[in-house]
Amino acid sequence: MGKDKPIQYKPVDASPVKSFFVTALTRDLKLEEAILDLLDNCVDGILRSKKLNSGEEPYKGFKAAIEFKRDSFTISDNCGGIPWSLHDYAFRMGRASDHPADKPGTVGVYGIGMKRAIFKMGKHCLISTQNGADGYDVEIKPEWIDDEGKWDIPVKAAKKSTNKDGTIIVIGDLYPGIAARFREDAKGFESELRRMVATHYAFIIDKGFEVSINKKAVTPRPTKLVFSTRRGKPKGIRPFIFKTRTDDGVDVFLAVGFWRPIPTEEEIAAEQEETQYSSTDAGWTVLCNDRAVLYCDRSELTGWGEAGIPRYHTQFIAISGIVEFRCNDASKLPTTTTKRGIDAASPLYLQIKNKMREGMRVFIDYTNEWKGRVEEGRKHIEAEKAIPFDEVKVEAGKLRFRSTTRTVPKGNQYKPELPSPKRLEPRKRRISFVKDVEEVESVALHLFDDKDADPSSVGERCFDLILKEARR
Amino acid sequence: MKHPPYHLRPNKAVDRLFLIEAIRRLDRLASLREYTYYGLGGPYLEDFRLLYELYPDIKMVSVEENRETYKRQKFHLPCGSEALNLEKAKFKSYLSRYEPNDKKSIFWLDYAGLSYGNFGDLMVLLGKVTEKSMVKITLRAEPTDFIDKQSERLGSRAERFRQQFGAVMPDSAADPPRDSRTFACLLQDMVQVAAQKALPSAVPLMFQPVSSFYYSDGTGMFTLTGVVCRRDSAAETRKAFEDLHFCNLTWAKPKHIDVPVLSTKERLHLQELLPCPSGAGTILHQALGYRIDYSTAQTEAKLKQYAEFHRYYPYFMRAVP
Repeated sequence: MGKDKPIQYKPVDASPVKSFFVTALTRDLKLEEAILDLLDNCVDGILRSKKLNSGEEPYKGFKAAIEFKRDSFTISDNCGGIPWSLHDYAFRMGRASDHPADKPGTVGVYGIGMKRAIFKMGKHCLISTQNGADGYDVEIKPEWIDDEGKWDIPVKAAKKSTNKDGTIIVIGDLYPGIAARFREDAKGFESELRRMVATHYAFIIDKGFEVSINKKAVTPRPTKLVFSTRRGKPKGIRPFIFKTRTDDGVDVFLAVGFWRPIPTEEEIAAEQEETQYSSTDAGWTVLCNDRAVLYCDRSELTGWGEAGIPRYHTQFIAISGIVEFRCNDASKLPTTTTKRGIDAASPLYLQIKNKMREGMRVFIDYTNEWKGRVEEGRKHIEAEKAIPFDEVKVEAGKLRFRSTTRTVPKGNQYKPELPSPKRLEPRKRRISFVKDVEEVESVALHLFDDKDADPSSVGERCFDLILKEARR
Repeated sequence: MKHPPYHLRPNKAVDRLFLIEAIRRLDRLASLREYTYYGLGGPYLEDFRLLYELYPDIKMVSVEENRETYKRQKFHLPCGSEALNLEKAKFKSYLSRYEPNDKKSIFWLDYAGLSYGNFGDLMVLLGKVTEKSMVKITLRAEPTDFIDKQSERLGSRAERFRQQFGAVMPDSAADPPRDSRTFACLLQDMVQVAAQKALPSAVPLMFQPVSSFYYSDGTGMFTLTGVVCRRDSAAETRKAFEDLHFCNLTWAKPKHIDVPVLSTKERLHLQELLPCPSGAGTILHQALGYRIDYSTAQTEAKLKQYAEFHRYYPYFMRAVP
């Protein structure tokens, strides 16, 4: 072997390719989530415009209208528009590290939401925005998407100047799969999108923001919790509450409790047979700067089925919890890049999850303690009113909190004292058994002339009759 | 097990005959010999009796979970067990066992109630049947079931409706409507959402509606019939049913069936005036010379219905046993 000259390797090209942004980044993104990303931009626009109202409805007057047709998608808003000073962030693929911090409360961190949503749907897009004196149109054409070497997008002064600051995004040249969903799945797609907006934006819509889909307003579905506001009633049904502010400025407010009466045995048995409830408020909702990143989750992600907490089961259908994270710096919030999921490995979230489990335990115990005497347990809950999360926060201000400085996380908590069942007298025994529905109906008809009579009354009456006979 | 007189309900009888008419048109898509009819026939197996009389080539399977009703069905068998197989099983477990094996099916999910499980069954079924199969679903459509009583607070009936059906409602935050017509429209929307979830645009099959009705023989009911077909042959499928009386090929609002109770003598008296393409209510009212409902408007509305549906109206006669 001769002494060969070492091969001179050239540096490799690691520059991004456009198709990565257009196809790969959008592959795992659900269409509904892409649209929610666009709505996030509307809300960020409001926060950026500093025109947020004060009081209970800070978002009042701000609107976003979503419209989809067989050949196009449009979202228009009056939420402040995109300032020309932000064009580098708004239209560039990703956020440059030297980009100045965004305004307080916004959730955009990675600078991909709007572009990814556009690329998910179609090959043509016109973005028209008005922000004060700035009014401009940005048009993305199919040729631009196909041209790997071209990264600049031409910007033109807006054709029409409007009085209101806002943005209109029109996406056309839809991909066949997207067009098919807007055309052939329209009813099912709109139903799912409406449900997602109603749940993920429930708290913002409740605070005045208006969202419409195909010209019909979205009604929010905010979670409510049973909260006894009666003073002097030590054992009323109230949520477990924990609140704290972390060293790096994240405010956390957690409340977990009952949103409805605990289920009857018949309800549990019926649910085992087949799904009775397709949409319940049971589980955990996690909010980051007013936006729900998890909605009614009942998995290990929110503490069910781990560290001594049982797996979610229908018997716990009455338990619901909300955790709110707030921070001016969105990068400190425990969300994933999609902003529609929780970062399960976030140290902050893991600490808060301890409290979520601690709070849940109170209501799991209540459910278990009243087993066999469900009707009595239900009455305590039915006697109270369920109030929305914002009211929970107001009412919480009237409660006496205990400081938890020795535990992690530090903070203040309120642990309710819930009514517990009196123990049965020692000379009493509980009897319970299961019988065929038709047989129960036959006996109910025989005894009460009503086949729908309460099964426990039927069983009790049978016992009383036999007892009478036995003692004759 | 006590049953209402299923066989004497005139509106349901009209709806049943519409199914028979729809099945006749299936023949344009494939030979009826290739089909098996699956139904929840109730104690009298009325639909099976009709099918056997009109389409003897169609094989039939009745699914019944109640032991006594099953025995009663055996008593009412309209034909031998080769043509009609009586299965004693819960419909849900039968559905999980059901394998079409490339054969075409006609299913009538004839529910007496309304639960999310009914939509679940529909979604499972739509995902299983072969193309050119027909599926009919009948659901209870009583808005009063979901109107709150004053005494109820937590977990109101409207809220319970949303919890039960939220996943298939067009707007999961909306209250259920309070009138029969809008409630029936909502149920149709829910069937459409369920069908689109079961067969989304990414799969080659779709659920093409054929007809939809709502009626009440004491209890409000909604019913929709459709055909599972390839997306690229939807036009051909629609064409096969376009001459079906009151066809609904576009998910338009369901048609109301509200036929009046008329005696045989009255029907024979009106017979020569039918069909009556316009002004039927007034013409038939004049022919009778008296009101059959509270007001003239209601009488004429009922008689208009009679004119529209008279071909499907059953005769209930006293017979010598």
